[in-house]
Amino acid sequence: MTGIASYLVFFVTLASIFAVVTLGLNLQWGFSGQFNAGVVGFMAVGAYVYAFLTAPLQHGQVGGLHWPIAPAMIASVLATALVALVIGRLTIRLRTDYLALATFGIAAAIHQLALNLEDITGGGRGITSIAKPFQGLGPEGFALAFGALALGLLAACHLLLQRLVRSPWGRSLRAIREDEIAAAALGKDVDRLRLTAFVLGAAPMGLAGALYAAFIGYVSPYDFTAIVTFQIWAMLIVGGSGNNRGAVLGAFVVWALWSMSGIAVVHLLPTRLQVQGGAVQAILIGALLIIMLVFRSRGMIGESLHSSPVLQDETAAGRS
Amino acid sequence: MTKRLLIALVGALPLLAFGGEARAQAACPHKLGAVIPLTGPQGPIGKPIADTAQLAIEHVNAAGGVKGCPIELVLRDDTGQPTLGVDAARYLVDVQKTPAIVGVVGSGIALAIVSSVTTAAKVPMVSCCAVTPTLTKMAEDGKTEGYFFRTIPTSRVFAVAHAVATTDRGYKNPAVIYVNNDFGSTLLRDLEKAIAALGGKIAGAVPYNENQPSYRTEVNQALALKGDALILIAFSQDGATIGREWISLGGTQNLVLHNTLRSQDFINAVGARFLGKAAGIDNAQVAGPSVDAFNAAFKAKFNRDPVGPGLHTVYDSAAVTALAMQQARALDGTAIRDALRLVQDAAGEVVMPGAEGLKKGLDAIKAGRKVRYVGATGPFGFDKNGDVSGPALVWKIDDGKLATDKVIDLEQMAALFRRIGY
Repeated sequence: MTGIASYLVFFVTLASIFAVVTLGLNLQWGFSGQFNAGVVGFMAVGAYVYAFLTAPLQHGQVGGLHWPIAPAMIASVLATALVALVIGRLTIRLRTDYLALATFGIAAAIHQLALNLEDITGGGRGITSIAKPFQGLGPEGFALAFGALALGLLAACHLLLQRLVRSPWGRSLRAIREDEIAAAALGKDVDRLRLTAFVLGAAPMGLAGALYAAFIGYVSPYDFTAIVTFQIWAMLIVGGSGNNRGAVLGAFVVWALWSMSGIAVVHLLPTRLQVQGGAVQAILIGALLIIMLVFRSRGMIGESLHSSPVLQDETAAGRS
Repeated sequence: MTKRLLIALVGALPLLAFGGEARAQAACPHKLGAVIPLTGPQGPIGKPIADTAQLAIEHVNAAGGVKGCPIELVLRDDTGQPTLGVDAARYLVDVQKTPAIVGVVGSGIALAIVSSVTTAAKVPMVSCCAVTPTLTKMAEDGKTEGYFFRTIPTSRVFAVAHAVATTDRGYKNPAVIYVNNDFGSTLLRDLEKAIAALGGKIAGAVPYNENQPSYRTEVNQALALKGDALILIAFSQDGATIGREWISLGGTQNLVLHNTLRSQDFINAVGARFLGKAAGIDNAQVAGPSVDAFNAAFKAKFNRDPVGPGLHTVYDSAAVTALAMQQARALDGTAIRDALRLVQDAAGEVVMPGAEGLKKGLDAIKAGRKVRYVGATGPFGFDKNGDVSGPALVWKIDDGKLATDKVIDLEQMAALFRRIGY
């Protein structure tokens, strides 16, 4: 592999992992209107469960279970769903900004737990030597195979979520998002639908966390700070909230914005100004986000205006 | 319309990457990667670190560069986010083909890059600032394959100093009270090993949690161990509380104190008359012509004194890597990894910071002579894990005043490291 190809494979792998998270958030926010501001907390749960189950014994207590990779990944998704179920039950009465504050606080609490539950998480030292799949294939083989795995899981998540939101269940979700009282009057169990969407949306976040841990081979609390939640939200909004293809596209575009802007700064700024490069990069990211949202306020691919696949958006002239 | 926009956007992304590759293939300048936080929570300490790294490269280039070319420092901002640090390192290694990476401030970022990029790509990382002992553990387990180095001393220097201060005084069976965090528990493990090697044995250790109003329980537990001395690894406020309670409950006055307690405040809080037999440890202040050379060069460039974390160590990480690039037979990661140890030859000509000093060193290497880089942090040497040790000192309290008892210099420290088996 040439250098560029190798870097692009790496980029696609990371972007796919982010896209899986964004798909989960899209189910929670895009389709059921639940403002989850603690996305990174669910990723952390998935990552730490995977790390704990697969890493060798370290720091005296952590690890040593040596689970195989596939069961560990499934367990981390289930654990995340379970955590989401508990959190969802606790916050079921909260709406919009109240829910946002509560979930933000929960993510902060998860971050603190990761820092302080040293027997399980290793604290600030993190967990090293987490099992990576495809280790027999050498560095290049690993990169390609893992990229394929991430893309494959992204495609699977997309397919499943697409089927879900196209089903009558998905239409009920959107009905709740638009008008809860009307949906309840039509006999929809609002709490149950919301909770189910919250849990089903959290599961991909846990999967992405586990994938991230397996890809890097190391997790620490510093991987799961609030900025990641912000990035995921930027991905969803830029791509198009309420549209799964938009969520995936947004993840790729926004992650490219973050990584490629750094590359642009290195190439465009003379050496003596590069210490200011970080600030230039931050401004560039902000400016590009604003431009995208000004010109595509519904996101790059917004939500379809019709729930039936037979009708096309273009027929609704003047609305897009 | 939408589709065309998307295709244009997505299509434009790899172009930047291709631009990088075309340049990387040019003969000059040679690239050296740096990953340093310039924005985000660590930005304020990262920016002067990046400035200093560039100063080192400026000196190298003023000294004629490496292998006939100037060095270009390719500086990437990790913003304090490990994902972005890994992304930056991946790009440096894959596309820009930098044969080494310097800088790297956060331990969480250094560990993520070592775990997923540099070791697999066989590119050495010479970190200026990552202090975590986890990296030492990984090196011991063979997980870094020798591709991780750092120019900042680890906490093992403290463990050795504590062991020396304890055994010098004839204490054979000390009890330990230590702060219950990553730092304290790692130091305790190293201390156990060091004291055992120097002919003592720890009677037992009691952890304490920070910022409590009283530590009677912990002190009583430690008293029950019936040690002939107490090694106290505590931060200043808590240390004073523990010290007072230890003395008032009848504990021995044979104390060995941590460097955080090397202050008049501690002496006043506990009472000088109880501390006649107390000793303590600290890093020895590194001084000498090489440190002065760096300080003068820094002041000449930035018109202020080099005060702040990571400035001296990042200069050394960039300078020693540049020397190793000249020393290596080819500009590839493995050759540079091996050369990093060759430019620290104990019998070599001394090379110091600054354009002139580095020119002497680069010329000597070109002429095939051995060199020994003595850096902005004074003399240092990489051990088998890529860590550096540094000198330490033992202090005592004479008539209520702090006094230096003994200095453990770098050679003695290296000998002790070997004896203990670190």
